[in-house]
Amino acid sequence: MSTTKSNIIGTDRDYGALVKEDRVHSSIFTDESIFEDEMERIFHKTWLFALHESEVPKKGDFKLLKLGRFPVIAVRDENEEVQLMINRCRHRGAQVCEATQGNAKSFQCWYHGWTYNTKGDLVGVTGEEAYDKAFDAKEHGLTKVARVDNYRGFIFASHSKEGQSLDDYLGPAKKFIDILVDASPTSEIEVKPGVVSKTMYRGNWKQIGMDGYHPHYVHVSVFKIFSKRESTTGSAVGAIHLEDPFSDSSPSLTRGFPNGHAALDFRFQRLPHAKDNMAELQQSEDGRKYVEDMIAHHGKEHAEELIAWHGDPHLGVFPNLQLIHDHIRVVIPVSVSETQVLMYPVFLKGVGQEINNKRLRAHEAFYGPASNGSPDDAEIFERVQRGLEGDADPWILLGRGMNREETDSDGTVSARISDEITQRAQMQEWKRLMAE
Amino acid sequence: MAKQILKAAPDVINKGVVGVEQQLRLERFLTYEAALMDEHEYDRWMDLWIGEDITYWLPCNSDDQDPNAGVAIIYDDRPRLLERMMRLKDKAAHAYRPRARLIRTVTDVVPLAQKGDELEVISNFSLGEIRTGTENIWFGRCHYFLVDTEEGFRIRWKKVLLLNNDEPIPNLTFLV
Repeated sequence: MSTTKSNIIGTDRDYGALVKEDRVHSSIFTDESIFEDEMERIFHKTWLFALHESEVPKKGDFKLLKLGRFPVIAVRDENEEVQLMINRCRHRGAQVCEATQGNAKSFQCWYHGWTYNTKGDLVGVTGEEAYDKAFDAKEHGLTKVARVDNYRGFIFASHSKEGQSLDDYLGPAKKFIDILVDASPTSEIEVKPGVVSKTMYRGNWKQIGMDGYHPHYVHVSVFKIFSKRESTTGSAVGAIHLEDPFSDSSPSLTRGFPNGHAALDFRFQRLPHAKDNMAELQQSEDGRKYVEDMIAHHGKEHAEELIAWHGDPHLGVFPNLQLIHDHIRVVIPVSVSETQVLMYPVFLKGVGQEINNKRLRAHEAFYGPASNGSPDDAEIFERVQRGLEGDADPWILLGRGMNREETDSDGTVSARISDEITQRAQMQEWKRLMAE
Repeated sequence: MAKQILKAAPDVINKGVVGVEQQLRLERFLTYEAALMDEHEYDRWMDLWIGEDITYWLPCNSDDQDPNAGVAIIYDDRPRLLERMMRLKDKAAHAYRPRARLIRTVTDVVPLAQKGDELEVISNFSLGEIRTGTENIWFGRCHYFLVDTEEGFRIRWKKVLLLNNDEPIPNLTFLV
């Protein structure tokens, strides 16, 4: 091991022993010192999703984020570049911005009045004559997040100066992100500044993964509503509920990617419904235009696929991003036993109001603190967190479907929808980063 | 609804929109509604709603977030509210089992305007919740359009502004 900061703070625990191929030790969900190590070795090292570029559309637009432990300002500077800077005055360390979002020409620290521009340059030191000539304002700009990169509008950041490129990090997961972006007939999506549903649960951040096994049990009450809805009004949320996508006899798959990414891959299950989806859209003016514009932009064959896929990658990008149905989800670890989940509804550009309204109402129905989906997830995570304290038999089993994994040509691994390939992918990346 | 009160003052404060009797009826009605919500009496609470064109709305992010431009915590018409009732009552909806124990106080009831048999009213509440060993305190403001009928007041439109509607919030497993 190299002598990095993580070694100074970190424990000398053998992380390799806590994560086996088919099981993990529950202390990784409950031990506070392991959480401290996760902050250093995962969240302060690997790529994290920061924000979508549409959240800061104009010069001076900013948004506050938390990346690992670091409070960060994301701001579009005067050259239209999005800067990610640590929200900490270089003088005595106060946060220089408290508004969670807005527009600013500069950021002034209220402690002693030091001022920074939107590039982070220190442009004002009060009573500057009291510093000697050796003091160089250029060396005291707001600290930049070490690396920032962008994939199709999704801005990622890493606190580590070195490491693999974002392109390599995302790898074959990129084409799943494309499913969401290309659901727009102009291949543009919009995340509106400040439009987000914020929830929390009293459980560990790793519990919120990609799981194709739980819906029949955790969400049984919702399936009842869907079945009732179809028989009474005939208007399901979408074709995804017309047949059970969570059955192991369906063509739905779980998929594990390199670097801990994971997806519930519904592409093959949804594709046969393309014609029905098109027909349903044809019933309204906005729907007809959407189909037309999708075909014009993407070509007939791909437009049909994209419409069948509903713009839903159902992808988890390790460690803090999920793209599920109509929203971008950001996972924020608060402590070993508390997690915030921020859900940003995604609006498609180049479509009629009715299309986005329908997406928004469908999103609200299932996601959020008073919806018919998220509360059952949060509840089960809290039950797990309480149960894990009883660690007389500490191993958590993640071996479901290991006997039926298949490796695909792009290096990803797939199995049936209820198989725990997604959890295994995430945990192997966790182990790689923690044991490195 | 501090903003609405300040906007409507001094008229609705000094003269008042309704008389003393009507004010007491109104406060009793809102206390009754609160009791139904505290006791999870969903069918009887649903009976308080009148008409097909109803709105039950909890904005998210800001009190005046346009529901067509941004996300809401709840934005129910009658069909959506009926589905909510199904889930609240369903024993298989484990987020609601065990049920939260609740006490809320409804205060600051001020009628803002009367048009025909419809009364616009605002009120505040504070609510204590205990569930699975955790205590949560909730605060909110309510904005109603109530219809005065022979059976008593009925709700046509209700907007609830949670004080923490722009903060990460835990499961909201009961009615507000």
